[in-house]
Amino acid sequence: MISGNDTVNEALIKAKSKKVYIEGNFVKILKGSLSAEVVTYISDCKEKDKQSRRKRLDVTKQVQLQNSELAEASVIKETLVLELQNALDDAEKLRDEAVEDLDIMQKRTQFELIGLIVKVALIIIVGVGITTTLLYSIAMLSDKDTTLLATAWSNLFGILLTNSFSIIGTIMGVKYATENK
Amino acid sequence: MIDSILLIDDEDLFHLVFEDACSLLDMTLSLEALNSSDEADKLFKRWFTEGPVEERPECVFVDLNIIGSSFDGIEMIRKINTDYGNGVVIGIISSSDDNQEIEKAKAVGAQFWIIKSDEIEPRLEEFLKDYDSYQEKTAPFKVYK
Repeated sequence: MISGNDTVNEALIKAKSKKVYIEGNFVKILKGSLSAEVVTYISDCKEKDKQSRRKRLDVTKQVQLQNSELAEASVIKETLVLELQNALDDAEKLRDEAVEDLDIMQKRTQFELIGLIVKVALIIIVGVGITTTLLYSIAMLSDKDTTLLATAWSNLFGILLTNSFSIIGTIMGVKYATENK
Repeated sequence: MIDSILLIDDEDLFHLVFEDACSLLDMTLSLEALNSSDEADKLFKRWFTEGPVEERPECVFVDLNIIGSSFDGIEMIRKINTDYGNGVVIGIISSSDDNQEIEKAKAVGAQFWIIKSDEIEPRLEEFLKDYDSYQEKTAPFKVYK
């Protein structure tokens, strides 16, 4: 082993015999020696140090490159996730709009149907009213018994009046709902 | 050969690249690398106010954007040149080649701008050739592309 009493030359020869090669900047401050063996050893150390530095530099550069590629990939991934999220939001918005449109369409169809029913009901009510009134008038003019017709006519007009308000209410409701949509 | 170099860069991997490149080019015997401009600021402040001035590095390489620091490389150069007595060879080492930033660095007294890339050694070799004129302050500002 190298001791504190060894000269630099002796220490270097001992290191060489143990196949221990000096690395780093210490090698750079070693100058030549009278001993050819030590000169060769220092030269070998420098060469080995250079080789290991070159190797480490190449590996570090490779890692650096991979790191930057990973960073780029991460940015791309984040962008894609963001784009995907936006597309999802858009799709959800479109779906909501479609559902709303469908709902409106269904309601409109329902309102149209209700309108038709109301129209038909009005026609029937008015038709029955006119028919009963005509019958009652003919019976009165031709001096026929009007007791039954009078009761029927009066009941019918009572019902007509009551139903009219109900129908008007329905019409107004339908109109209001349709206007809002 | 440069007596001592200080590298201020937030990227640890670049510290290794720079150290190995310097070693292969026999650029220096003493290289210190710091991660933040705040650390460097403290050191320069101490060297300026308390000394010893000899501890100051001979040459300083500063990254442009030092993540996690209070100020960027240009401000660091301005501080060293105007607040802490100047006296060092100083410049930027960055992957950016933004002309506006280069002009800003020049304005605060940067002497060179080295563009970081996969092949940093040829640029450092070229820089080393010009180093004496940087020390003598005779060299014009130069960008190593």
